Amino acid sequence: MDTNKVMTAMGVSRRDFIRATSAIGAAFGLDMTGVTKFTSKAEAKETAAGGLPVLWLQAQACSGCSVSLLNSIYYATIADLAVNTLDINFHSNLSAATGNLAVSAIEKTYRQGGYALVVEGAIPTAANGEYCTLWPGLTALKGVKRYAERASVVIAAGTCASYGGLSAAAPNLTGATSVSQVLGSGYTVVNIPGCPMHPDWMVGTIAYILANGTLPALDAQGRPTVFYGKTVHEQCPYLPEFTTKYSKRINHAGGRSCLDCHSRTDSSVPQSRALGIGGCLFALGCNGGQTHCDCSVRKWNSGAVGTPGVNWCVEAGGPCNGCTEPNFPDGMAPFYSLNGPGVDN
Amino acid sequence: MATTLTIAPMTRVEGHLDVEVTVDTIGGTQQVTDAKCTGAMFRGFERILTGRDPRDAVLMTQRICGVCPISHGMASSLALENAFVLTPAENGRIVRNLVLGANYIQSHILHFYHLVAPDYINTDGILDMSPWRPHMAAPDMITGTTATALVGNYVKALDMRRKAHQMGAIFAGHMPSAVSFVPGGTTKPVTATDVTAFRTLLTELRSFVSNVMLADGEALLGVFPNYAKIGKGCGNLLAYGVFDLNSAGTAKLFARGRYTNGTLGTVDTTQIREYVSHSWYTASSGNLSPANGVTEPAADKAGAYSWVKAPRYGSVVHEVGPLARMWVNGDYRYGISAMDRIVARALEAEKVSNAMDGWLNELVPGASTYTYKATPTTGTGIGLTEAPRGALGHWIQIGASKLTQYQIVSPTGWNASPLDDSGQHGAMEQALISTPVKDLQNPIELLRVVHSFDPCLSCSVHLVRPGKKAEICRVDVAAGV
Repeated sequence: MDTNKVMTAMGVSRRDFIRATSAIGAAFGLDMTGVTKFTSKAEAKETAAGGLPVLWLQAQACSGCSVSLLNSIYYATIADLAVNTLDINFHSNLSAATGNLAVSAIEKTYRQGGYALVVEGAIPTAANGEYCTLWPGLTALKGVKRYAERASVVIAAGTCASYGGLSAAAPNLTGATSVSQVLGSGYTVVNIPGCPMHPDWMVGTIAYILANGTLPALDAQGRPTVFYGKTVHEQCPYLPEFTTKYSKRINHAGGRSCLDCHSRTDSSVPQSRALGIGGCLFALGCNGGQTHCDCSVRKWNSGAVGTPGVNWCVEAGGPCNGCTEPNFPDGMAPFYSLNGPGVDN
Repeated sequence: MATTLTIAPMTRVEGHLDVEVTVDTIGGTQQVTDAKCTGAMFRGFERILTGRDPRDAVLMTQRICGVCPISHGMASSLALENAFVLTPAENGRIVRNLVLGANYIQSHILHFYHLVAPDYINTDGILDMSPWRPHMAAPDMITGTTATALVGNYVKALDMRRKAHQMGAIFAGHMPSAVSFVPGGTTKPVTATDVTAFRTLLTELRSFVSNVMLADGEALLGVFPNYAKIGKGCGNLLAYGVFDLNSAGTAKLFARGRYTNGTLGTVDTTQIREYVSHSWYTASSGNLSPANGVTEPAADKAGAYSWVKAPRYGSVVHEVGPLARMWVNGDYRYGISAMDRIVARALEAEKVSNAMDGWLNELVPGASTYTYKATPTTGTGIGLTEAPRGALGHWIQIGASKLTQYQIVSPTGWNASPLDDSGQHGAMEQALISTPVKDLQNPIELLRVVHSFDPCLSCSVHLVRPGKKAEICRVDVAAGV
């Protein structure tokens, strides 16, 4: 492979992702040792020795997390990842190969082992898993178990794969469940929830793993704490407004969130905000107090390396619907807790 | 001798699709003589929605599909407004059009460069790595400097579609799905800064679409003129219309209409029926309007091969998509074929992106984006719009202020439907039939025809009939919900 020719054609800077690891290092509070390791890995890919092999399987997925991944730029672009860093040996939306040719590429990766298995979508378990097949003869239930066997890391992309998500919403006719439930206690699954997942959470986690050769610290729900360690509410730019309006009603003692004390349906909470005005949306059903992720500071759809995104749910006037939590959506709905914009009362 | 070919999993579609065709030689040409697009999926979405707060449907239906969530958000908002008897705020109407337009641009760019182009370009020596290797090889694929240039644009297009989502997120909150859509308009206050930021990105995207994507589309047509004669299918086109230009929805950028048996006509939603003779649903689920549709699975039903119902307009098979919209609206009437679908899609991207620049001028920063109305106790509503890949409708009923009925008829339902009660193949099956296949080992022609429809099967689920291990029922997300 003529690397220069490829780079010219692709218009991709091979340094982008290496630079991104510095940003990741800073984010994780790492020293540069890890970056050096990662750089070696990236250099290996440049010399055609190969990057980290990836098998990306979709079960009960909507492709939303894959589309979100394509929006990556904060740490690296998808082109940079595919050319310089990862060997994406199968991805249903991207692979040139189709049919049996695609299956042979997956099987070849499986035989070689040492890859990252990424699963998008929930796994239906009813009827022996026969409600979902990856291709004729292989259910998602069996396939995920099979391809996890020789993977060096298993990552659940999005809330469906992490916890069941929308696919497992009541009445859950197909018995949809998470990757970790399917694989059982013998595996540590890195959960990257979000409906959709934020691309930075996935790319940053992969960068960390490549840089350090270990998994990042995970919380009790299997989420990397660097991205999911705090609630939306704790980091919310509208927190001062919340405090002014609601602080006398809040008791944070014992680590409880505001919503532990004041449920969204508590009629004593003033319905002081109307949709379409903006600002703190606590009175309109915001689930930010019980939702762990850094949306409120990272924001979404960044336009440049190392730059926060252009918007996020609450800034757009939409109450946080709690999409990174295991009880999404049923434990979070109804998403607009009041019957329309109330008035101060 | 007839040969059966199965392509599974079909990649570079949204979700999973398996295609089975019979190939035989007729009149000296090896070609497809029968086709089954087995798509289907029963995620139970309609059941999931039943009993919920109606307004939650706008957020939840966007999770049906990660590629066209905005269209589901739009259809759901329109259906709810219809049921609420609510006119959206003018700023809200415009903002929703801008977000939908942003997703049209990203979807059309993604489809042309990342889902379709690999069928036509030999990337050997340019991209000798996964996910572009291995790939199906065909002697007619573009090679050399043209291929290198197209691959360069493939990468540029990754950047461009990302920017289209960045643009949409200014008003949507985030993309691919929007949090700001609600019945009555949108929740995001409009500022002059938003308008400027949006226009900066739109200007760059308009330039890419007009100068790069259209040129590449014409180049493809120049190299593959034979595909303007392949994959015609039923020849009937249906469009619900999209991008309301006034709050009553009486004027649209793309008009509602159809082209049936060579004649243009109007659309009467009562003429839409879904048939199930070859779908895994009970007979009582068939021959019904989606307004009172029934979805009772019948997994062991004899003769069925799909979880997709067969929607028909006045019993006639129709194709939906950008070509249908452009044809009905009088913007494109050169022909109906695999290549016409690709070219019409690129031209549509240009038309939409140009119109968006005008819509930005109509926004009034600071003016209301949202009109409130309480959820009614009872009501019925229809929300008709267009996903990038074709006509999309939501039919709802509300009782005791909760959803009691939710039926979705998706574009891929129209295009990838199975045989109906009259024995008529769906649009994509008809397009596959008579498609020539030169090399049984590399049936690239089938990929090109299927991909021209931009199938959206985003549930990615293949259903095996419970208790029958060997038999597979696949899932169409869009249609199967």
